[in-house]
Amino acid sequence: MTPAQAHPRTGSTASKELELVARLRAGDEQAFEALVQDYYATMLSVARGYVRSRAIAEEVVQEAWLGVLKGLDRFEGRSSLKTWIMRIVVNIAMTRGTREARSQPFSSFAVDDDEPAVDADRFRDANDGFAGHWRAYPSNWSTLPDGALLGQETLDVVMHAIEELPDAQRVVITMRDVAGCEAGEVCDALDVSEGNQRVLLHRARSRVRTALERHFDG
Amino acid sequence: MADSAEHITCQEVVELVSDYLERSLPPDETTLFEQHLNFCDGCDWYLEQLKRTVETVGEIREEDVPAEAKERLLGAFREWKRS
Repeated sequence: MTPAQAHPRTGSTASKELELVARLRAGDEQAFEALVQDYYATMLSVARGYVRSRAIAEEVVQEAWLGVLKGLDRFEGRSSLKTWIMRIVVNIAMTRGTREARSQPFSSFAVDDDEPAVDADRFRDANDGFAGHWRAYPSNWSTLPDGALLGQETLDVVMHAIEELPDAQRVVITMRDVAGCEAGEVCDALDVSEGNQRVLLHRARSRVRTALERHFDG
Repeated sequence: MADSAEHITCQEVVELVSDYLERSLPPDETTLFEQHLNFCDGCDWYLEQLKRTVETVGEIREEDVPAEAKERLLGAFREWKRS
């Protein structure tokens, strides 16, 4: 797997993780509980990219944790613990998804279809002169009242927009911008190229921005 | 698009903004991008919008582990410990 090598792991993170793994192997229940707390939601989002219902995704996550425990003795820290765990989720979710005749690896997703970040109508065309320039500028969000972007109503708009995204886009934006994963971790976990990861993230962010713009500008 | 060798349009800029934030644009495209932003308020505001979008997405609180799932997992952990 090439993307993993493109992101050398820093020594301190890796050694902290090996320390955590040692505590888990020794049966430290608090360490396990903390790990579950940290990764459960992300695992669930990843699983939901591959299977139909939330209930099945929960089963996948449960099964993935059993896989984590079973594989813990073999974990060598070559990838990050997070990546390793997410790969287990993806593998189980894909097996499950195949049974449902739904799932396919994200690497097979076509990302070459042209989906503009902003509707083409928003730009001047060749007849207008200045082709490709804004007809009307997008609004300046720095002038929004304080806290407008972080209010619950706005968060609801964002969460709804993410919910509506195509599976691969939803999983990538959730891993990157909600869970704070590195690009390389996403590539490794989902087995997508760096380029595809960027396109999926770009599309997802663009769609969420559009939803926010509609919310603010009406 | 006049003088396409040295300029990019607003319509092109919006396709590069996420990559720009990711710092994954090649140096020559970064230069063109930043030059465009210097004279275009519309694209400057668009960049600001996308930054704010990413920040807002980052504010989403990940849900807690359902109590029942947590209990089952701790049970599995104890069993694994014994084996």
